[in-house]
Order: sequence, then structure tokens, then C-alpha cells
Amino acid sequence: MRCDVNKWLFPAVTALAVLQGCSSVPRGNIPVVDSSTRVSNSERVTANRSAGGYSTGTAQAQTLAEDSGVTVMIPQGAGASGIQTFPAANGAAPISTSPITPGPISTGPVSSAPMTTNPNPIADEPFDIAAMNNAPQSTSAPTGIPRSTAAAGGLSADEQLDGPVLALLTTAKTQQGSGDFNGAASSLERAQRIAPREPQVLYRLAQVRLSQGDAAQAEQLARRALTYANGRPSLQAELWNTIAQAREKQGDSAGAALARQKARVNS
Amino acid sequence: MTRTRNPRTPQKRPTGRSRAWLGWALKLSLVGLVIVAGFAVYLDAVVQEKFSGKRWTIPAKVYARPLELFTGQKLSKNDFLTELDALGYRRESAANGPGAAAVNGNTVDLNTRGFQFYEGMEPAQFVRVRFSGDYVAGLSAANGKALDVVRLEPLMIGGIYPKNLEDRILIKIDQVPKYLLETLVATEDRDFYSHYGVSPKSIARAMWVNTSSGSMRQGGSTLTQQLVKNFYLSSERSLSRKLTEAMMAMLLELHYDKREILEAYLNEVFVGQDGQRAVHGFGLASQFFFSQPLSELKLHQIALLVGMVKGPSYYNPRRYPDRALARRNLVLDLVAEQGVASQAEVDAAKKMPLGVTKRGSLADSSFPAFLDLVKRQLRQDYRDEDLTEEGLRIFTSFDPILQMKAETSMSETFKRLAGRKGADEVESAMVVTNPETGEVQALIGSRQAGFAGFNRAIDAVRPIGSLVKPSVYLTALEQPSKYTLTSWVQDEPFSVKGADGQVWRPQNYDRRPHGTIYLYQGLANSYNLSTAKLGLEVGVPNVIKTIGRLGVNVDWPAFPAMLLGAGGMSPMQVATMYQTIANGGFNTPMRGIRSVLTAEGEPLKRYPFQIQQTFDPGAIYLVQNAMQRVMREGTGRSVYNTLPRSLTLAGKTGTSNDSRDSWFSGFSQDLLAVVWMGRDDNGKTPFTGATGALQVWTSFMKKADPLPLDMPQPDNVVQAWIDPYTGRGSDGSCPGAVQMPYIRGSEPPAGATCGGEENPAESVMDWVKGWMN
Repeated sequence: MRCDVNKWLFPAVTALAVLQGCSSVPRGNIPVVDSSTRVSNSERVTANRSAGGYSTGTAQAQTLAEDSGVTVMIPQGAGASGIQTFPAANGAAPISTSPITPGPISTGPVSSAPMTTNPNPIADEPFDIAAMNNAPQSTSAPTGIPRSTAAAGGLSADEQLDGPVLALLTTAKTQQGSGDFNGAASSLERAQRIAPREPQVLYRLAQVRLSQGDAAQAEQLARRALTYANGRPSLQAELWNTIAQAREKQGDSAGAALARQKARVNS
Repeated sequence: MTRTRNPRTPQKRPTGRSRAWLGWALKLSLVGLVIVAGFAVYLDAVVQEKFSGKRWTIPAKVYARPLELFTGQKLSKNDFLTELDALGYRRESAANGPGAAAVNGNTVDLNTRGFQFYEGMEPAQFVRVRFSGDYVAGLSAANGKALDVVRLEPLMIGGIYPKNLEDRILIKIDQVPKYLLETLVATEDRDFYSHYGVSPKSIARAMWVNTSSGSMRQGGSTLTQQLVKNFYLSSERSLSRKLTEAMMAMLLELHYDKREILEAYLNEVFVGQDGQRAVHGFGLASQFFFSQPLSELKLHQIALLVGMVKGPSYYNPRRYPDRALARRNLVLDLVAEQGVASQAEVDAAKKMPLGVTKRGSLADSSFPAFLDLVKRQLRQDYRDEDLTEEGLRIFTSFDPILQMKAETSMSETFKRLAGRKGADEVESAMVVTNPETGEVQALIGSRQAGFAGFNRAIDAVRPIGSLVKPSVYLTALEQPSKYTLTSWVQDEPFSVKGADGQVWRPQNYDRRPHGTIYLYQGLANSYNLSTAKLGLEVGVPNVIKTIGRLGVNVDWPAFPAMLLGAGGMSPMQVATMYQTIANGGFNTPMRGIRSVLTAEGEPLKRYPFQIQQTFDPGAIYLVQNAMQRVMREGTGRSVYNTLPRSLTLAGKTGTSNDSRDSWFSGFSQDLLAVVWMGRDDNGKTPFTGATGALQVWTSFMKKADPLPLDMPQPDNVVQAWIDPYTGRGSDGSCPGAVQMPYIRGSEPPAGATCGGEENPAESVMDWVKGWMN
């Protein structure tokens, strides 16, 4: 019968098909283990690792080169003077350890009773009000961005920003304008990584946090910005206003009033 | 089987027996048909469900920080090239296509690849980077216009894998490079576009070729069948499996078009084994063998990958380069033969070397400590299945360049210290962060950094010894009416009876008292007696509270021994503590992850920057000043044998009892590092904080070349002139007078005369002079 032939042919053909079709090597045994951590393309990082480290190039020489007036703009350097040299006042003040004629400092003898109170230094006034108008002893804080003028004081906010920070702040402004607060915060954090001590970046970040409803963080960021805003009274005023806004939102009207007062003192 | 008598006369009635048999056969085949039909329906469901639904479990991919480029950035050309090499940029004489870089003296041209970040798409573009010393001096586009900021794509540093340890990089069929599809079809299934799942023509041809040549040279499976085998079935070779495979292949072709099947094949095919990780799909194969994205591959590379499909282990180009080359050239011949590419192109391709990158096994180039940190942080927000299956993209703050510098520092230092007795059993850990942003940049969990295992950086809780002392001094300096940096304290022996009646009698490391000293000297020289006395005055519970405000909630008992560091912390906790000091009194929780995207590149979650002011900047400024003196004149002063004096640093050594733990924690403006050394069995080591951990730290800082510490002087701090020998107020005009910082109102009043000894001992004067230089 015809079906007999087919019945034999089919298995025969199939058998041959099996033999021809099974041309691939069976997959290797994949063990069932817990998640591990393997790397994909850092292979060349390894090559350097085994080579035993990197040349740091002219790391030492660089500081000298800076002092010799190379015009490379340096973020986080101070003004136009390049890398700050180590001021004697902060460092090698040679206070001897040889015997000292006793005589306590006028602040009185040190008591041996343990302190029972721990005064919280972070009241509403992190800074002495009387000190606000005094010029700081050291030069103004390095701002973290290249500046075209050497003058560090008396600049209002948004002045003299250029390069990457300006570009990112501009992007953040656009994102904020269209309601993308997360994106704006992201761009501002990028700017912060480039210029960590630029108070305008932290100021904008505080504003974004306010828009996002996080008043507590807004206040903290503004406080951080203030520590970098020496010698920039108009920026300080804006920061104090931000703090005032944040405190209002947190229900602290007294604190807000205090902050507004500070803003007036500054502007 | 019996036959009927007259097969050609169907009208003649068959015998009763054959009739019965026929009836049975008919019924049987009917039942068989039903079973087969049912099976087919079942297979159909399986095929559709898996194909249309979630197709592959894709592990989460973890990326390092993207390297940002901008004019004025501190980045050496060598570090930049290291990053480019790790990212697989080809060095060419001119940067022609994406993924190419050209170096000309101090200028590097490159064509970036572009990447989808949380904030949006960073476009691929031509960039010219000009270096000057260790800084980026210029950044411009192809037309010469200056660029503000450019981001490279981030280096992938690892993944979070499911139990089956498959890994792939998903590719879309419209992203594949030229020649890939045609080469694949030409080699594996030339009738792909015309068959219906199974190709009898292919089977016949394969039979013919193999029997005539006497060896198994061709396979008759279609791409669809191969896909089915890999995707749904095991590689068990049996008839029933082959039949199932054939049925499923036909069903697959019934429901899906050629492009979809091809795309699935491209992503599923097994191409190699990397240790325990199975490499699937051409996307990952391209990275695995060539360190390049699939879209950049050229004909000779494509031919190699396609050739490997037949036998990934047999044709492994790293283990059997000759076989792989022969197979590749065979594929290239097929390509020419079937007109996929011109003979000239094929000839050129055949001349090319294999071109695979050297190391395939990545077991010792992983960063297990940092990935462990990432996983822990992610597990707080995501389930394991999300992490191992959904293909999440995780962007971290990891800096591979700093990590390599840290690892090299550690290995070099241990090599140097190998002579010391007992040095071999000493283990180590290291944490590197950016104090201004609170981001973890590098993490080492063991002396052999590449080994995954006990992550000492996070989990080794060890007595911190003198590392605790800054918190004692910080507590004191928060009370400026009582304590200044130049307050006199007594470094004299004393004893204290505890609540349990036990007497505690602390000792200095050198076993001798130092008499009356300035407060800061107790910290700079790490004296135990004066520190303990000070700590008892301000109160142990207050010191512990200070540590809490610094960001570490320890549950230490309020025993006096805590003042000298009997309490334990992990290196990460130490880093948190010192971070707040480095960051001006602002506490930032340490982050390793910046953002998470879905597999499609949609933003999913952000880990934002957060700070909390927990200390008056004035008190922090004073503590930083004292910690600078640790480095200038105290227990850390050996650093300036190696580092430039202009690099202002602050830090603290730590040695626990019997040198069981050797610590150093210190920071510059933009870099903070904590190093720990010790034995896992808590035995004695031959190292103090200064002779052990500090050595690694110094070596690292030398390589990293960070910015000098420069905290802005807070408004409530003034510099006052004092006499160095008595601490009394002095004047700028007095010889030898020095300036020290004080909280406003606590400075000694300016002196009317220049007090103090007029003729100090010679040796002291020389010592003083030495510091002036």
C-alpha cells in the first residue's frame, strides 16, 4: 500500500533530517547560581590594571605651572590667581610644644564637670548678625567657574557665568519653565558636579525644590549656598529671601520674618 | 503488516482481518491526528505567549558616571585616553566614524557615540579636546565652534543577573550594521525568506553536501528552527524533539513575519560563555569580542560572529584562533558566492586579522564592592525580579579612573610593605567619595579588589581608634566660651572610676604625658590623655550625640573608652562621619546611584542630592584647622614627604589597641578617602594608622592629585594674632606672632606688648623656622 511506503519514508526522512539538522553544538551547562556581577566592556580597564598603574603625568609640575601664569581657566580656583597657595595663617603656625609658663587663657578654668547641656549651634541664626556686614578676613570663596574679571565682590546673581555652568543653568531654566522639575534638578546637579562651590547653582536648586514642594531641602540648599556667597550681597539677599519662603511653607513665620530681615540688611 | 490479496482490485472485498486492521488503523490515526492537533494547539499557545509577551529576561545594567568634558576641567590627557580605551574607542589617524578617536600631541579628536540619559539624549558628535598640562584647555565641535559641555557615554561596569545567568544587549533589527542579515542568511539558512519554517530543500541540500563530502559540513535547520530550539526547547537531540521543533517553527512562521523572527534570532543566539555568564545575541557578542557596539562592526567582524553561531565553543576565536579564522573565511566565501558583498570587499575582509580584544573573561575586571553597594541600595526600592529581568539601566557615581588609582595604590603599597612580619594576613578596605556631592566614587572591599566576597568597606565593623577624636574636639569647639584651638589642656595621667566600679586609666601611645598643651595639639598628635580628659569634660553622651549629628547613628554605650575609639564602625560609616566635617558641617547621605531608567530609556527614578546642616560652620572650620595640623605637624605629617606642600589636606590617623586596626581618613576639597587595614581574625598587625593605612592613602592622593582644601572662612570666625608660646593675644607687628582662627568673641584680646620669651631655645627657633619655609 502506498501508505506503507509513506510510513517508512517519513521516519527515514525524519531520521536523516535529525542527523542533518542537529548541526549546532549543544549549549554549555549553565549552572543555576545566585546573581553575580560580571562586567562587559571594562576589559581595557583591566589591561591597564595589570600594567601596574598609571602615570600621573606632570601632576607635581602642574601646581608650579599654574603659578607661572598659564592662562588656563580653572574652575574651583580662586579668581585669576590660579591655585591658592597655602596661607601661613591656616597652616604652619609654629606653635611650640616646649614647656609653657602656666597661665590660663582669660576664658577661665576648664571645669571638670561634664556638660549637661549641649547648646544647639544651629538656631535660626547660623551667622552672627553683627558679623554680616563685616568683610571676611580671607579672600572671597572660589566660585568654581571661570571668571573674566578678577573682581570677586559686588556681583549680582547671574553675572559672569559662562561655559558649562551657564549652559546647564539655561537648560535647567527651560526645563523648570515647562514643569519638568526632575529634569531641571538633574541638570542643576550636573552643574553642581562641575562647579560645586558656585552658589548660584545651589540657589537654583533651592528654587526647584521649592517648586517641588520640598521646602525643608530648599532651606538647607540655600544655607549651603550662603556659605559660598561671601562678598556677594545681592545674591545673599536672594538666598535669604528663599530661606524666608521656605520657612513660611514650613509654618515657621517667626523664622521667615528673621530671614526677610537678613535679606534687607544685605540688599 | 499484512497485505490484501489483490491490491489492485479494490472492488474485491478485502479479508475480514485486513478490514479490521484498516478500521483500527483509521481509528488510531484519527486519534493520533487529534492528539497531534491538540499538541499543535498547545504549541501554538506556547509559541505565541512567549514570543509576544515579555521575550527575554534582561539583566539590569549598571553604568559608571559619564565623563563630562568642559574647558577648564581638571583632567589629564592620559586619564582621558584610559577612559576612551575602556569604552572601546578605536584609535585611528583621523576620527572618521562614531567610536573613533585620533590623538595628535595634546589634541584628541573623537566621534562620540551618544547616549540616552535621564535628562535626555546626548547626541553623537565630533569633538576636539585640547589639553594643557592636567587641564582641558579647549573643547570644540567639527566646525570649530566652542562647545560648552560634552558627555561621553558611560562605561558599563556590571549587571545584576538572574539565576540563569543569561546576558544580552537587546538590539532592534533596524539598528544592525550592513551585511549582518545577509551574511547570516547566506551562511545559516539561505532560503530563509522563502520557506515556511522548515525547509526540505535545505535538508536535502545538507544531506547531499554531507554525504558527498563525507563529513558534517552543513546543517539543514532553518533559522526559525534554531530559534525555536534555543528559545523554547533544550538542545536535547531526539526525534520527538526535532518533530516538536519543526512544528513550532512552522507555527512561528504562521504568526510572525520574517523580520520579527530574525530580530528574535539576533537576540537569542548563543555565542559564547564568559565564566559563568552565558553570552546571548549579537549585541552582547559584539561587545564581548570586539568591545564595540554592533552597529560599528565591519564585514570581517560580522563574518566571524556569524561563523561562530555553528559552534561557539568550537570556534571560540580566543581559544582557537586558527579554527575561527578558517571558519570566518569560509563564511566570507559564502558571502561572495551569494553576491552579498563584492569579491573585492570579501578579499579585503579576508586579509584582516580576527580583531578580537584580548581578554574575554572579565572575572578579574569587575568591581564587586561597588556593585554590591549598588545592589543593596536598589534592593530597598526594587524587587529582585525587577532587577534581574526588566533590563533596568542604572546610572551611578562610580569613577573607574579613581577606582583603578585606588586599587593600584593598595597593591603597590602592600607590595612595598610585604617585608613586615605578618603583613600577608592583613586585609584592607577603602572608600573614596566626593565630599561636596556625597557621591561614592570608588570602593574596595578586600585587598584583592577584584574578588567578590566579604565586602569589608560596608560590613567590617572595627574599632575606629583615634578616628573618633575629631568628634570629641568638635563637641568642645562648639562651646567657644569654654574652648578654643589654643585653650590649655593637661596631657597628664588620670583615672576615672566607672559606674561598675572599674577604674579606667588611659595611656598615651608613647606611654608618656606631655604636660600642658594647646587643645589642637591633642588632636594633631593624637594624644590620648588630653583627649580623654576633654571628652569627659564635655561628656561622653554628648560626643556620641555629635557622632550622630555627623551622620552615623552608633549604639555605643557611653563608656569613657569610647572617647579613644573602642567603638566600632565600618569604613563607609567613617566616610559618612568625615564627610560632614569635610562638607562644612552639612550632612549628605552617601549615594552610589544617580538615576534609574527603564530598558527603553524612560526615566524611572532619581536619587537627588540632599543636605542637612547639622553644625555651625565656625566650629567645623576650627576642627578642619586642627585636622590640617595633623597633616602639617602631627601624626600624618609623612604625607608631605610625597605630596606637595601646596596641597592642603585634613585628616586623622587611627590605630586601635595592639595595632589590630590601622585607619586613615582624610580629605582635600574634592576628594575624601578612608583606608582600613586589619586582620579578619582580629589579630595584631605590624601597622599603625600612619605606617599602614596612611601609606595607601598618600599613594592614592598622589595619583589622584585633587584640589587643595579651601573651606571659605565663615562669618563668625576671625583670625587673631597670638603669641605662639603662651597663646596670649599678640599683635601682627610682634616677631614670631602667628594667626589662629577663633569664633568671634572667643579670641584672646590683642596684647599690649609682645609678650613671651625673647630668647627662645635654639632648637625651638630652628623648628619654628623650619615651618616658615
